[in-house]
Amino acid sequence: MSARLQAESLYKVFGRRPDQAVERLRAGAGREELRAEGATAAVIDASFTVEPGQIFVVMGLSGSGKSTLLRMLNGLLEPTAGHVRFDGQDLTTLGDRELRAVRSKKISMVFQHFALFPHRSVRENAAYGLEVQGVPRAERVRRADEALALCGLAGWEKSWPDELSGGMQQRVGLARALATDADLLLMDESFSALDPLIRRDMQDQLLELQQKLKKTIVFITHDLNEAMRLGDRIAVMRDGEIVQIGTAQDILLRPENDYVASFTQDVDRSRVLTTGELMDTSVTGDDPGCHCETATADTPFTELCAISARLSHPVSVVDADNKLIGVVPRQRLVGFLGDEQDTTPEPCDSPRDAGGEKVTARA
Amino acid sequence: MPRIQLGTWVNGAVDWLTTHMGWLFDFCKTVFLGLYDGINAVLQAPEPLLLAGIFAVIAFWLRGTLAGVLTFAGFAFIVSLDLWENAMITLTLVLVATVIALVISIPVGIWAARSDRVSGLVRPVLDFMQTLPAMVYLIPAILFFGTGASAGIVATLIFALAPGVRMTELGIRQVDRELVEAADAFGTTPRNILLRVQLPLALPTVMAGVNQVIMLGLSMAAIAGMVGTDGLGGDVNQAIGQLNVGLGAEAGVGIVILAIYLDRMTSALGTQVSPLGRRAAARLRAAQGLKIWSYRPRPAVAVIGVVVLALVSGGMGVFGSAGTGSTAAAGGKDVGQGKKISIGYIPWDEGVASTFLWKEVLEQRGYQVEAKQLDAGPLYTSLAQGDVDFQTDGWLPTTHAQYWKKYGKQLDDLGAWYDKTSLELSVPAYMKDVDSLADLKGKASEFGGKITGIESSAGEMALLKSKVLKEYGLDKEYKVVDSSTPAMLAELKRAYAKKEPIVVTLWSPHWAYNDYKLKKLKDPKGAWGAGDGVHTLARKGFADDDPTVAGWLKKFKMSEKELTSLEAEINKAGKGNQQQAVRAWLKQHPGYVDKLAPVKGGGATPAEAKRPLDVAWFPWDEDIAVTYLWKNVLERRGYKLNLKQMDVGPVYTGLASGDLDLNFDAWLPYAQKNYWDKNKDRLKDLGTWYEPTSLEIAVPSYVKGVDSLADLKGKAGTFDGKIIGIEPGTGEMDLAKNKVLPGYGLDKEYEVVDGSTPAMLAELKRAYAKKEPIAVTLWSPHWAYSDYKLTKLKDPKKAFGEGNTIRTISNEKFPEEYPQLTKWIKNFKMSEDELGSLESEIKNRGQGHEEEAVAAWLKQHPDMVERMTPQ
Repeated sequence: MSARLQAESLYKVFGRRPDQAVERLRAGAGREELRAEGATAAVIDASFTVEPGQIFVVMGLSGSGKSTLLRMLNGLLEPTAGHVRFDGQDLTTLGDRELRAVRSKKISMVFQHFALFPHRSVRENAAYGLEVQGVPRAERVRRADEALALCGLAGWEKSWPDELSGGMQQRVGLARALATDADLLLMDESFSALDPLIRRDMQDQLLELQQKLKKTIVFITHDLNEAMRLGDRIAVMRDGEIVQIGTAQDILLRPENDYVASFTQDVDRSRVLTTGELMDTSVTGDDPGCHCETATADTPFTELCAISARLSHPVSVVDADNKLIGVVPRQRLVGFLGDEQDTTPEPCDSPRDAGGEKVTARA
Repeated sequence: MPRIQLGTWVNGAVDWLTTHMGWLFDFCKTVFLGLYDGINAVLQAPEPLLLAGIFAVIAFWLRGTLAGVLTFAGFAFIVSLDLWENAMITLTLVLVATVIALVISIPVGIWAARSDRVSGLVRPVLDFMQTLPAMVYLIPAILFFGTGASAGIVATLIFALAPGVRMTELGIRQVDRELVEAADAFGTTPRNILLRVQLPLALPTVMAGVNQVIMLGLSMAAIAGMVGTDGLGGDVNQAIGQLNVGLGAEAGVGIVILAIYLDRMTSALGTQVSPLGRRAAARLRAAQGLKIWSYRPRPAVAVIGVVVLALVSGGMGVFGSAGTGSTAAAGGKDVGQGKKISIGYIPWDEGVASTFLWKEVLEQRGYQVEAKQLDAGPLYTSLAQGDVDFQTDGWLPTTHAQYWKKYGKQLDDLGAWYDKTSLELSVPAYMKDVDSLADLKGKASEFGGKITGIESSAGEMALLKSKVLKEYGLDKEYKVVDSSTPAMLAELKRAYAKKEPIVVTLWSPHWAYNDYKLKKLKDPKGAWGAGDGVHTLARKGFADDDPTVAGWLKKFKMSEKELTSLEAEINKAGKGNQQQAVRAWLKQHPGYVDKLAPVKGGGATPAEAKRPLDVAWFPWDEDIAVTYLWKNVLERRGYKLNLKQMDVGPVYTGLASGDLDLNFDAWLPYAQKNYWDKNKDRLKDLGTWYEPTSLEIAVPSYVKGVDSLADLKGKAGTFDGKIIGIEPGTGEMDLAKNKVLPGYGLDKEYEVVDGSTPAMLAELKRAYAKKEPIAVTLWSPHWAYSDYKLTKLKDPKKAFGEGNTIRTISNEKFPEEYPQLTKWIKNFKMSEDELGSLESEIKNRGQGHEEEAVAAWLKQHPDMVERMTPQ
């Protein structure tokens, strides 16, 4: 996986005199100011790097410029300023013909509304990229069928797109993107149009595939949960600018600003948090001290809760060598869920409560 | 506001285009006509019902059983209305216009879909083309392309282009942007995006556009009829022109049937050609299950069906047999006075030949002849019942013996016109050693053991099989192949071309003996029996009803050479052209008509009638009238007139040089004085036939108190200060403005309004109907005087000048060459009434119907022919 995608201060301005607008943006002019002059800044100074085999998620509300950013990565939109480097080439300097060659061989795309060709069968859809490349028919069919099988659509090759459910249609879209063996997969809100259950399935399947295929993926979404589940790294966009880039935990636990924080407010932390994020590292030692069940730093939050429920004392967290690297008192677990961290409980003024605790404990 | 001279510019542009871009229009015309002729030839060739069958199979394939059945019914209906030929012409017109429209509109639509600028430019042009009244561009279309199919195609094209462009653009623009982006994201080239994504997905909409193009094309068919495009549109026009609502309705229904068929087929085709449509249709079918009314055969089955029918019809086209004839223009010596005669004939070559010969001859003698094709049985029945007046193909005493026995008492035998017929077997002359039937023995292998026969029902075949072959001991060796007369002849033609051995059943007289060198095999044993004579048989009483024709028929004789050459001529001309063939043959046999149908006084056509007369005419009402009158009358006397429309100058020049023979409209001694003076040494004045002519101002007679020009004074209020003029710049207008009005002191009061002769006449008609006062510039002779009660205002001061007389002038030698004709012309006179009524008859019938008008007028003036050309 030599491919490595790098975006260098990309700008995209629609409307009148885009080049001037970029100058003014660089000089610190605001978006609203430009809009008054008839120019719309869709993407402002976006820079990031995607390592091979990574899933890079760009997250933002609609209108934040994420789709525009994505389309600059494969040259469907030409950046007003900045560079896109991929696989050692600066895509922004390529002519139409070379750009088409790159798109047909190295970069493929999956669309929000699937964009399947209704006049082609499932197999013909999956083989579309290969057809454009000029791959001979027999090989085309073979590779398309392989890609379909990979996406769990074996046996549906002769069906027509309108005969499939939404999830299956998007699998065809995915198979079409995978069939060309492109290194870079651009996914534009690919699962947003699916209902929640199917969306989860697709996310799982994508992760599963990614373990096998190790593609470089840029994934656009407006759904933070999806971003957290899929993204090795996540970029949060607002009004055309990238406000934070980091891992899911970074975004969740160390939001760059209030906007990101407000974004993450409703997130189900338990899905993202791992023991390492919430253990009390003030307690360490050579071993856990007892033979009770222990957790590691990677143990997900839900599992940690389960362990904690089975123990009478705080859960010990050990590393690979069984050294104690921290503990998680039950109090802390409950506190994280309630967004109350590092507080000491106040004593109760009524003895009945103490009895009540006992009852709970016995139960 | 300055006057914007748009019209002038357009005129200039049209002139410039006609002179400088002629090559382009000629090229277009060639393309249009090439396409038109090609498609039309294909559509006209097969038997109508077979082609209807092909259409039905296509409908069956595209839409199902019910559509197929209805299609056949619809087209059969057209056939039964006798509109088939015209319907196919219309179909051709629409197809050609559609093909050309699509060739232009689809690329333009694609272009417009891809560029907003082009779209913005194209849209107003399309609006312009769609809303500009058709008449406005029909006239230039005639200037550029002449009348006929190409002008019709252009008019249809202009009208029908717009939906093609619009729907193509719409279809492409409607394709989901995400799909185009997806294609783009996979590196598809713009061309392939168009071909693989946009066009396939736009196809249903584009096909809707095609459908619209066809429908609009059909709706233009009637208008295209106005520029001389034939077809149903022409029928509609003709019918409306004659106020024949019935015929109009028939042609209209024909157009509707075509329209519905084309609409349903193209929309079904739209579903069939687009992948999406096919999917939708397949799902629908799956949902419905199999039903007989919507059952559709697979394409392969449909194609086979079409091909089989096409082959059959192609075959029938090749072996095309004789059919009913067309009516000829009336002319010649009017013995019949339009009396109807019905001839029946059996579709045998000598029957067809003699029947159409008589049809032509009798029509030249003024009869209305109807030729009905019948089988022998029905023919004798019709004769016996008196439905048919006579038939010329009675093979007696042998072949038609059974019919004669049955109906003989109800028939009159007018005698044999051809002796002796014979039945025989024939071989090509290159079969050296086969001369008689006996020679055939032992040669079966050479002939493949086959004798090519005709219809198995024919008497000859029965005779051959049961008697002739046995008599000569050939029945073991040879097999008589039943087929049909056309097939036998085709087989003969084929073998003859390859010089292959062949033996066919034939009979004399037959044109085959004229076209091929054949040997009639001798029949020393007389197995074929004695020959028949070909008799003319008439219904009982025909000879009493029409002794003249019966007399002619009784004397009718034809030699084998004459008959076979006529048959060959008819055979060459093909079905539907029998009468033309007869005419062509008659040309090679001058005097034949008079031999067959001599008219009174033994009056064979005067010797001087042999050369056609070149008569020049001006497009003026009185000249049209008199020229066509002479044409009609002289043709009855066996003359032939070539009419040429020309301007005054060239006519005088042409007459002087001897290129022209006659002109009937010389306004002398004043109006055409300068022409006359220049050429008078080489011209002859054959005398005045109409006088006096005059120029005048006329008012309706209900305008009391206005009798002379002087009376107009002070009445400007009544006439609104206007005198309705004609084309500005004409002599009369100049006279009226410069001499007449000043001469009577009217120039302050009145204005002479420029216009045109038709506009002046329309204005006169309108005012006359409302009894409003009106003053118009007019001249005598004019039909307006016979249609309306008008007062010619007296001109005591002779401001309009002296009257001319209208004379006939000829070239110098004419009186010597045509003494008889010269005498007739010199004695020819017409009264104002006669001329006026003739002019108005011609005007009422409309352009192109002059001959009918003259014929009709002559019927009201029965003495005229005799008066003009006494014998």
